[in-house]
Amino acid sequence: MNTNRIMDRGWYWVDEQARRTTLALARRLSRRNFLSRLGLLLTGAAALPLLPVARAFAQETTLREVGDPQSCEYWRYCALSGQLCSCCGGSHRTCPPGAEPSPITWVGTCRNPLDEREYLISYNDCCGKAACGRCGCHNTEGDKPVYFNSNSSTVLWCFGVEHTSYHCTVALVLGESNQ
Amino acid sequence: MRLIIFVASLVLVSGAFAQIPPEEITMETMPEHGTNWFIIKSGNGARIFSAETGEMFGTISLSSRTPAVAPYLPRGEFYAAESYYSRGVHGDRTDLVAIYDYANLNPVAEIEIPNHMARLGVRNHLGLLGNGRHLAVLNMNPGYSVSIVDVIDREFVYEMSTPGCAIILPVAENDFLLICGDGTLQLSQLDISGFEENRVRSEVFFNVQEDAVFDRTARTADGWLLITHAGVIFEVSTDDDEINISEGWSIVGEDEAGWRPGGFEFLDVHRANGLLYVAMHEGPVDTHHDPGDEIWVIDLASQRRVHRLELEDPADHLTVTQETSPKLIVGTSSGDTEIFDAVTFRHERTIDAPGASMYEDF
Repeated sequence: MNTNRIMDRGWYWVDEQARRTTLALARRLSRRNFLSRLGLLLTGAAALPLLPVARAFAQETTLREVGDPQSCEYWRYCALSGQLCSCCGGSHRTCPPGAEPSPITWVGTCRNPLDEREYLISYNDCCGKAACGRCGCHNTEGDKPVYFNSNSSTVLWCFGVEHTSYHCTVALVLGESNQ
Repeated sequence: MRLIIFVASLVLVSGAFAQIPPEEITMETMPEHGTNWFIIKSGNGARIFSAETGEMFGTISLSSRTPAVAPYLPRGEFYAAESYYSRGVHGDRTDLVAIYDYANLNPVAEIEIPNHMARLGVRNHLGLLGNGRHLAVLNMNPGYSVSIVDVIDREFVYEMSTPGCAIILPVAENDFLLICGDGTLQLSQLDISGFEENRVRSEVFFNVQEDAVFDRTARTADGWLLITHAGVIFEVSTDDDEINISEGWSIVGEDEAGWRPGGFEFLDVHRANGLLYVAMHEGPVDTHHDPGDEIWVIDLASQRRVHRLELEDPADHLTVTQETSPKLIVGTSSGDTEIFDAVTFRHERTIDAPGASMYEDF
């Protein structure tokens, strides 16, 4: 019985503190201020699902690496199937002029020969132009069939872009695979 | 004087033409369908050939993103899923099922479908169901779904969601199986109008991470043959709403470690003879798209290999015609189309067909 009473008092104290805090805020802040902060919160929540995708493009890598990004042997391309943007006016991390990067990708795991660590690689397609046609590359390390499309290099990943024709592919490091 | 010479030469020239009747250009129509015909699909069309003579009869022009073409001789029609942009590679996108006639190989009807078509050259991204009425087209957006089209009434029926499952394997009259990423098969049974009436999932029978079933398959006498990256075979069939999956068995012997199936459309079955033809190569894990240095011929009933066909030029694609004297058609890495007798394995001819990416028995 005593326990229940103590808990009731505890809840009453929480309610009372919340009431006082709300009243104090209401006196200090305008209604518009509240709405603006609420809007900010909602916008932030809406952006949350996009974060892994946006991060793929925003990342500034300081990775130590060697190799020729115009060669299919470049370590990041271990699971890449497509045409290398680095041969088409872009680079291994950038789309050629006017080709729209697809935010949806397939992901492979490649070993960096310099540090012998494995990294998650995001293979983003660049879209909206005719296929580049240069530096075709078809590597299949960890590749899965098309019915398991998140790990399938065969799939064209021009989704979520205005024009869905395939142009070429880039390879972005997302992080170490064990992180 | 010059005028006189000019007039005289005109008279002479016109006299020369008057001596033979002028030729007129006309247009062929397709001859009657013959033995061991097949289709060579490339990036922009489907060309019809005879494996007996090597002769080409005509072309169906297709969109560059057409997965496959499905012939249906009883109605003299071909069905293809196509995807176009209004300005070539940009502009408004239109996905559709096009119907081509046999006589002229020209489009005679088209049915618009949702712009979600999976635009990959995979034979089983398109399947005409057993009743010859419903065509199933695989979508990827990027989740999987299937568009059902009534090719007799020329109308789109509906788009059914098939999360995690792709590869259309028609069974029975109006049903199809799909291969799912969780290691199962899904059976979808349609009603007479083409709407899904029943959906059944099999038990898990493979692990996609350890040894995935290929997304390339072969039709058998009563169902489909699936093969894993390591060469384990499963034969699947249905009995109404039951999915039957055979015990897996390997085509690779204990002393043949390292040999693997691989390529693109790299296997087929001669259904009457019960023989599997599969391109094989030696290589490590994850070389499942490497072309085959050999074609292994497997008797499915006894589960024994009956022949190894060594190739000078490795094979990316193959098919076998279903005639009583079948031909084995092999697409090589260098782009040639080689024709073999599928029983004696004797090489018969090479067909020049640049860009061949898939074969279809016809």
